[in-house]
Amino acid sequence: MNKHIIYSIVILLTITFVSCNPTPEIEDSMLDSGKISYALPDSLNRNLVSRYLANPTNVQKETPVIIAAHGYTATTFEWEELRAYADSAKTFYVSQVLLGGHGRSYEDFKKASWQDWQSSIIEEYIKLSDLGFKKIYLAGSSTGAPLILQMLKSELFSKHTNPKGFFLVDPIVVSSNKTLTLVGLLGPVLGYTTVELDNGEVGKWYVYRPQETLKELMKLIDLTRRDLEKGITVSGNFYMKVYKSSIDETADPVSAVMIYKGIKYEPSLNKNIDIEMVDSKIHVFTRLKGRPQISNKDNALQHKAFAEMEAKMKQL
Amino acid sequence: MKKNSLLIIVFICIAISLKSQSSTKQDIKLGLIFQKTQSLYLENGIGADYSSDFLLNKQIHLKASYLSSRFGSALGTNAIKQDNIIVGADWRFRQNKDLQILAGLNGGVLLVDYENSVFDVLPKSATFLSIETGLVYNFKFPISISLTAGYNLKSGNGIDIPGTLFPVFYKFGVFYKL
Repeated sequence: MNKHIIYSIVILLTITFVSCNPTPEIEDSMLDSGKISYALPDSLNRNLVSRYLANPTNVQKETPVIIAAHGYTATTFEWEELRAYADSAKTFYVSQVLLGGHGRSYEDFKKASWQDWQSSIIEEYIKLSDLGFKKIYLAGSSTGAPLILQMLKSELFSKHTNPKGFFLVDPIVVSSNKTLTLVGLLGPVLGYTTVELDNGEVGKWYVYRPQETLKELMKLIDLTRRDLEKGITVSGNFYMKVYKSSIDETADPVSAVMIYKGIKYEPSLNKNIDIEMVDSKIHVFTRLKGRPQISNKDNALQHKAFAEMEAKMKQL
Repeated sequence: MKKNSLLIIVFICIAISLKSQSSTKQDIKLGLIFQKTQSLYLENGIGADYSSDFLLNKQIHLKASYLSSRFGSALGTNAIKQDNIIVGADWRFRQNKDLQILAGLNGGVLLVDYENSVFDVLPKSATFLSIETGLVYNFKFPISISLTAGYNLKSGNGIDIPGTLFPVFYKFGVFYKL
């Protein structure tokens, strides 16, 4: 009997150790290789308003600027189309922030915590505030959204130029894949998970997701969910709109319910945030570049969202 | 007020002393259940447990419960209000001992209240199936406690099943034998 138990334990341990493969096979064409870096000075100079408008004129300081934060494993590519829209409209700027640990290499990604991911958003916000930009907005897609909500919960905004508004696109507070809740248990055995990218996405998203980063993602969204449960009461009369695809295989649509219920203005303002359940099956429906099949409806939804953001910024 | 409390305590003591966990043809237990879902809500409620000599000499227990976040996480917070109506059956190992092991199968309905028509596009209800295992301890007096863990075989995806149906849950129950 005892022998059987010992054999079982040995087999179980062997399976566990064999299963643990912390280093995946990375090809040069993958973002994970570190050979395609979004963190090089040229890239940052092109994407960050604080760099390409380091000495803003008074007119530029009065022009709205959106700090756009992308999602988990993504890069600044996720907000390229909003940037193109802004360049064409010439009524606002888009500062495409590269999250900490992202757009570099698998090893850099593996080491980064969610606070590291968030640090580059904070850094750009403080720089723009210090440069004198008066109309700062923050936009977050997917994981970018809870990172911004955590900034909202902190005292950060009260110490700098108060943002005028927030646009959250397909925010994640609850993952559609509920296995993520078991990452603490399964993570060490799996080591990492793999994502299949479309051709147009290769080199712009990480293919491999180290279990350490999945744990960080779970920590961030679980913390945000609990904060929203208690209520994030914010001072100031800022604008917030959440766009949520009603069918989303990455960020569970119930995330929008939690944000709607959890963000509280001061009672005297007597208002709630705006929510739009978007008739789309695309996670981050505002990013269409790199996707294999795009319909006219997808294009229309993207354009409508961008046009609404622009109109709202003119109005505020 | 104090007099009423004292009377209730005396009544409970008498009931406990008169009743022991002696063997009867059938047992009905009523109690309170506290359920914590991994990385989600605390949902509490009431439950009933029925066993009989007819059910393989009390080796099988039939149970029903009503659990809600209204009596847990959503109490005074912004958590989503949701209700679970659950029925199930357990197989008890060591059924003649004070400490028993259970393994069971549950089925039920989850009903979610989003409280705003803008979320009408989201799924509001779903049936679910779960497996559960854990320990039950029967005291000498007519109280028993249970500590179990369970797994929902199908979790919510937010498309056709509410996204607040998570896979893993833990339950603590306190039952009184009638």
